[in-house]
Amino acid sequence: MATVTNWIDHLSAKEVAGAVYPGVGSEGILVLIAFVLWIGWHVIQAMQESSKLEKLARKRHGPNDHKSNIAEW
Amino acid sequence: MTDELGALTTIFTEFYYWITVVLMFLIHVGFCMYEVGASRYKHHQHTLMKNTMLIPLVTVTWFLFGWWIYWAFPTGPGLAPSIMNESAALITDESAFSAKWYMPNSDIMAVNLGDHISGVFWAAFLLFSWTAASIVSGAIIERITTFAFGILAIAIGSVFWTIDAAWGWHFDGWMLKILGYHDAYASGVIHAIAGGFALGVLAVLGPRIGKFSSSGEPRNIGPRNPWLVTIGLFLIYTGFWGFYAACNIPIFDLGPEYGMEGVTYFTATNIYVTPTTLSGITFNFLMSLSGGLLAGYLISKGDPFWTYSSGLAGIICASAGNDLYHPIQAMIIAMIGVVVAYKMHYWVERKFKIDDAVGAVAVHGYAGFAGLIICGFVLNGYPSSGYSVGSMWVGTDYAPINPLGMFIGAIIMFFVLGMLPGWIIAKVLHGMGKLRIPREVEIAGLDYDIMEAARDDEKSVSSATR
Repeated sequence: MATVTNWIDHLSAKEVAGAVYPGVGSEGILVLIAFVLWIGWHVIQAMQESSKLEKLARKRHGPNDHKSNIAEW
Repeated sequence: MTDELGALTTIFTEFYYWITVVLMFLIHVGFCMYEVGASRYKHHQHTLMKNTMLIPLVTVTWFLFGWWIYWAFPTGPGLAPSIMNESAALITDESAFSAKWYMPNSDIMAVNLGDHISGVFWAAFLLFSWTAASIVSGAIIERITTFAFGILAIAIGSVFWTIDAAWGWHFDGWMLKILGYHDAYASGVIHAIAGGFALGVLAVLGPRIGKFSSSGEPRNIGPRNPWLVTIGLFLIYTGFWGFYAACNIPIFDLGPEYGMEGVTYFTATNIYVTPTTLSGITFNFLMSLSGGLLAGYLISKGDPFWTYSSGLAGIICASAGNDLYHPIQAMIIAMIGVVVAYKMHYWVERKFKIDDAVGAVAVHGYAGFAGLIICGFVLNGYPSSGYSVGSMWVGTDYAPINPLGMFIGAIIMFFVLGMLPGWIIAKVLHGMGKLRIPREVEIAGLDYDIMEAARDDEKSVSSATR
């Protein structure tokens, strides 16, 4: 996985390779993983938010009810 | 890097953009404080989280495709040929500034010893993206779902503003060539488009409950915490310094760049690679801020909220030409922008029942739009680029700056790439039932459950003896 194992060898090479992160060549897979994580986040967030909003809506609190919840730690 | 002077120039440029990114972070801190200060107690935490979460969403999508769009779309595609490869197609070839190098799987989109600039330049533009999304965020507080806002933030932050930047900000952009478009510090490229986008969303989203009386008269809501609003706006001003610096190239030899044989001319340039100075734009930044504050104080009769916002509106209005204006011109233009923004805000509010909670459409959208039009008159005849000056509509070389081109540019920014996409996406989200929170939640307050839990925690802790 390590792209660089010896800096002296790496920097004294005829042509210094610029990319030094682990797994050079696997960028396509990383991008795919990033897409899945991004879209997945939206899906989970939407479900969590819908359920929270529905639950709160059912309670039908009044416009000033929140005032009794003000904490004064 | 083996040449010392070359290395110094490169590492100076790298550090220069890095500093601008850190400064611009304050814009987002300011927007968060401003929005929380403007929202009501029962919506505070939701308002904060909404604006905070745009940071990762826009960043990830900017990495995945937003940055690629900027480099791929300068030609339209199909509207004007590139000066790099003479093709009007998307720029995805092997040329130096091709989008090919900015695909998310490119090896320069990472730690790369051969490239010191891509990451900091990517980040500078990313911070512009956050700003575009954050402008929209403020207008729609207290009634939009976080899901909907996330989608809208990505749309404006990683798609539409980057298309407009490719068209009207990139040195190879078709709007420079065909229209003579000039927008050095983003009156239109960031502000008019984001203001227009917010207006499109607001038209579908509707006003907050209680904003308008049964007879249609608007009621004033907020700001709830003027001190938070004050600090927020001061931080936005501070970050704006970084934004101005980030729109420049700090050191460039224009002689060989323009093909002038035997000429060496080192200077700072604006984003279009035409000469300006950091010193000169500092004059103009401060004088346009001052013009905005002076006009805002008078027109609002000393209202703090509008006075602070007007400082911002003043800079925004003068920004299109602040690379070339005289400081007193910048101040006067800023004053005009503030009057336009203030008057338009209340006219649109009454006429169309638009509830823009923080005046974002006015400060960014109307002031930015006005700034573009004014720039067309004041800078009429200046070349929009140093590469080659031609005439309007041709597209193979660059049209000079002119009033008609700037007016069309303003329409493109505010309406075509701003308001229209905002309206369409909001309509789709509304159709899915995902745009607006339930009425009962809006009345109770988005933070009701969090507040209730905090009160319960407080009760249990305060009665504890060990």
